[in-house]
Parts: sequence; structure tokens; C-alpha cells
Amino acid sequence: MDRHPPKPPPRGLILLGIGLLGLLAAFLLGLRPAGLVPNAGGLRLARDFFSAATEPAFSWESAHLAAHTTPFLADLAHAALRTLIFAAAAMSLSVLAGLPLGILASETWWRRSSFKNSRMTAAARGLQAAVRIGIALMRSVHELIWAVILLAAVGLNTFGAVLAIAVPYSGTLAKVFSEMLDEAPRHSAKALEGIGVRPLSVFLFGLVPRALPDLVAYTAYRFECAVRSAAVLGFFGYPTLGYHLTLSFGDGRFRETWTTIYLLLGLILFLEWWSTAIRRRLVS
Amino acid sequence: MNSPPVPPLQDEGHPDEPSRRLLWISGLGAFGLVAFAWMSGEINIGGFFGADRARNLERFLTEDAIPFPLRESGFTWSGLWTWVGGQWNAAGAEATMTTLWIAVASMALAGAGALLVAPWVARTISTQEPFLQSGPIGIGWIWASRIARLICILARALPEYILAFLWVAVLPGSAWPAVLALAMHNGGILGRLFGETLENLERRPLQALRTLGGSRGQITALAAVPVALPRFLLYFFYRFETCVREATVLGMLGIVSLGYQIQDARSRHAYDDMLLLVGFGVMLVLLADLTSHGVRIWLRREAPR
Repeated sequence: MDRHPPKPPPRGLILLGIGLLGLLAAFLLGLRPAGLVPNAGGLRLARDFFSAATEPAFSWESAHLAAHTTPFLADLAHAALRTLIFAAAAMSLSVLAGLPLGILASETWWRRSSFKNSRMTAAARGLQAAVRIGIALMRSVHELIWAVILLAAVGLNTFGAVLAIAVPYSGTLAKVFSEMLDEAPRHSAKALEGIGVRPLSVFLFGLVPRALPDLVAYTAYRFECAVRSAAVLGFFGYPTLGYHLTLSFGDGRFRETWTTIYLLLGLILFLEWWSTAIRRRLVS
Repeated sequence: MNSPPVPPLQDEGHPDEPSRRLLWISGLGAFGLVAFAWMSGEINIGGFFGADRARNLERFLTEDAIPFPLRESGFTWSGLWTWVGGQWNAAGAEATMTTLWIAVASMALAGAGALLVAPWVARTISTQEPFLQSGPIGIGWIWASRIARLICILARALPEYILAFLWVAVLPGSAWPAVLALAMHNGGILGRLFGETLENLERRPLQALRTLGGSRGQITALAAVPVALPRFLLYFFYRFETCVREATVLGMLGIVSLGYQIQDARSRHAYDDMLLLVGFGVMLVLLADLTSHGVRIWLRREAPR
């Protein structure tokens, strides 16, 4: 049709556009380089905070706290464990919800299933579109906003924290799962279809196994993100690492803040190493 | 090794046996952790579905969440519309636009930072004999590359929200904390992705330029980066989506974006306003999704693999 290759998008222009939009945004937000220089109070706080970085606390910094509560490290370890617990519970719900939603949102499912005549296909299209819209809505509300909504609707409850993470994560998993199912290699499915295997079995045994390594690797990566989210939920009163972080920082117990930061950092770096190792073994 | 008559279906006895051990351990560990999580007693499911929570939920859905002007007069489309318009003009429009501009500013900054870091991350460039496959790497270059990678990892490790929380304390009263936090996190992610893209570029053309006497900087800026640019932009717009979502939330730390207004409405117990503001956020995120999806399709049309 077109003998000339299509004109490539003007990438230089896109780059220029991004730069100009960035400058416009900075102008509209009133961002000035001078705003990057902290005032006296900010400077003092920054100095105090960063000088505490080299000596993280191993016990409560205030005698008042030490007299009444569990040892600092035990308390912090408990918070870290809760962070992992919330993340793991949320991820398990997300996989349970995200997998069926992802299958329903994929093209392959509807193509491989028995919806062959055109009238049913229209219904299938409608259902698929409905699922996709639902997924987009779940995803487009941030987990912290879900947390705020759930706090308003039912009050502070740990299962609410799990749900707050699980709802948007289910949406994200569903979206990515559906894309992975659609992009999985087709050879096995075609071979099975060729020898007359039922469509459902073709999907389950020909297609899903080919996409499985990608699905698992992505789930491992999302677990790492869920740990971050669970930690941040602490800012809203849930007993995770973020709770320690905001309380100790607010009270100026910076050495405790640093211990919390180092622990969270260690947790996340370990999980990152782990999810990368899994990905490398699963996805060539 | 002779090729076996029948290729084995599973790679039993494959040289990388220990790698499968990690998968087994991870699988068992994951199941163990999930089982432990639900049985630890830390997650109070019973409480969530208890009677008083159910009452809270009922009141929330049947009273609090109903737009205020419609609670007494009953539902009318015009009433709903006036309310939505009023909220949009009062705080919604400004907060929504602030959210968008925060995302744009921080992504521009993140992109610029990533462009600067990426050549240092790429081990084909950050070496004594750039773009050539042979020759010593040079201890200085090894460390340059390692440090660049470490910077990327550390920049993205902490959640944006925590970074912004710390920045707010040092630089209160402007949008800088949100922009810096988002730029750091996304810059770290993009820096590594950009670096890996540069590293995986087709090497021979760059080698040719090198043997013709091009300098490291010349080849990087004028050949490697332009060739990698389509891929860079794909990654950039992929992160832009996430960044808009994240920008709504950072307002809860006191930067006047949507999150701030949402938090404000919650503290006034104006849950109807709160949900509407969440709706504005959904609209913005969906628009950003569509935009970046469209741009990515457009880029991919021509982007060479």
C-alpha cells in the first residue's frame, strides 16, 4: 500500500515537548530554584536528621518510652513482620481476584472459548469491556486513597488495610495478566486445537502454562511493591513500619527513624534481589 | 556433547540445578508466608464484618456518601450537576491541575536525571574502551558503573510517600517535596532501565564509530542515545501513568493536590465531597492512562526493537 516507509514520529519534538511542559509545570507550581534552599529551621532539622544517620538507635531514645513498653528492636521487628503479613495477605487476595479477572479481560479467553457464533461474541465483547472498565476503576484509585475511603466507611481495622492494598493490586495484576496471556506463545494451543481438544482445555493446558513464568515473575515483583505500600499504610495508623517512622520523626527521635529506614531499606533491597533472581530463572 | 535422540521435555539434570532450588524455596516460602499471615491473628477479619462496622458502613453508604444537597430534597440530575460543578470550581479543578502539573514536572526532572545517569550505568559505555568488546575495563570505570547503579537502586528503594514526608520537613510550603520525591523514585527506575537499554543496543554500528575515532561522549550523545530514544520514551510514558496516580496521594502530606483536598474533606466528615474528589482523581488517572497508552502505540509503530 505505502511504498514509502511511514514517517517515524518526531522523537526530538516529543523530547522538546516534555522539556517545555516540565518548565511550564514548574512555572505554574511556583517552583523556583530558590525554593530548594531550606530556611534556618529546615536546615537545622536536616542537619540533626542526617547526623543521626550514622548512629541508628538500638533501644528507645526516650526514657519515658523505655520504661513502659517492649524493647525497641522487638517492637520494630514486630512492625516489620506486620508489614510483611499485610503485604502477603493482600497479595494472596490480589492473585485470587486478579487471575480470573485477568482471564476475563484477555482476548484469548474469549477467542478460545465456545463463544463462536456472532451473537454470543457481541455479548462476550460486552462482558470483556465491562471487566476491563472495572479493572481500570480498581487500579485508578491509589491504595492509600482506598485506605482513606475504608477508614471513613468502616473505621480502623487491619483487614481494611489488607483490602486497601488488595483492591488496586487486583486491578493491576488483572490488567498485566491479561496482557501476558494475550502475548504468550501460541504453538502449544494451536497444536492442541488441531487434535480436537476442547477450547477450555486448550486454554488451560495450552496457553496458561506458557504464560505462567511471566505471571509468577510479575507477581513476585508486585509483592515487593505491596511491602512498600504496607509500610506506607503505617502513616494512617496501621501498625506497620511507616507508623514507627512517622511517630519517631515527629518526636525528633531521629536515630529511631534511621533504624526504621534501614530496616525497610534492607527488606526492600532483599525482596528486589529476590524478585530479580526469580525473574532471571523464569523468564529468559 | 552429542545431541540426544529425543530432546528431554524437562531440563532435568540441567547445569543450573541450584536455580530451580531457589524457585522451590520461594514457592514454599510464599505459601508459608501467606498461610502464616492469615493465621497470625494480626488480620482481624471478624472485626471487619462485625455489627458496629456494618452499621458504620450502612450509614456511610446511605447517608454520608450521598451528595449533601440531595439528602433532603431528593435526587435530581440538576441538583447533582450543580453540586459537582460547585465542587469542581471550589477546590476540585485547582487540585486536579496541581496534581497533573506535579506529575509532569517530576517526570521531566526524572527523565533528565535518568538521561544523565544512564551512560554511567551502561557497562558498554562505562569502561576503558567504550563500545569495543575487548580491552580492560579499568578499575575506575568498574566503580563508576557500580556507584551509578547503587544510586539508582537507593533512589527508588524507598516509597515516594516516605521520601516526600522527609522532604516536607526540610522544605515546607512549596510543591518541591512532592516533585523531588517523585523525581527521585522515578529517576532511579528510569536510570536503570535507560542504562540497560543503552547496554543492549546493537553494538557493531557503535563500534564502527569508535574505530573511526569518535569520542565516548560524541558516540553516546549523537549515536547511542538517539537510537535508544524510542525505547526511552516507551519507558517514560509507562512511568508517567503511575506517577499521576502517585501524585494524587502525596497531597496528603500538605501539598495542595487532590490528596490534600481528600484528606481535608475527610477531616470535615464531608464524605460526599471526599468521594467526589476521589472521582476527579480517577478521571485524571484514566485520562493520563489513555494519553500515555496512545503515545506508546504511536511510538511503537516505528520503534525498532
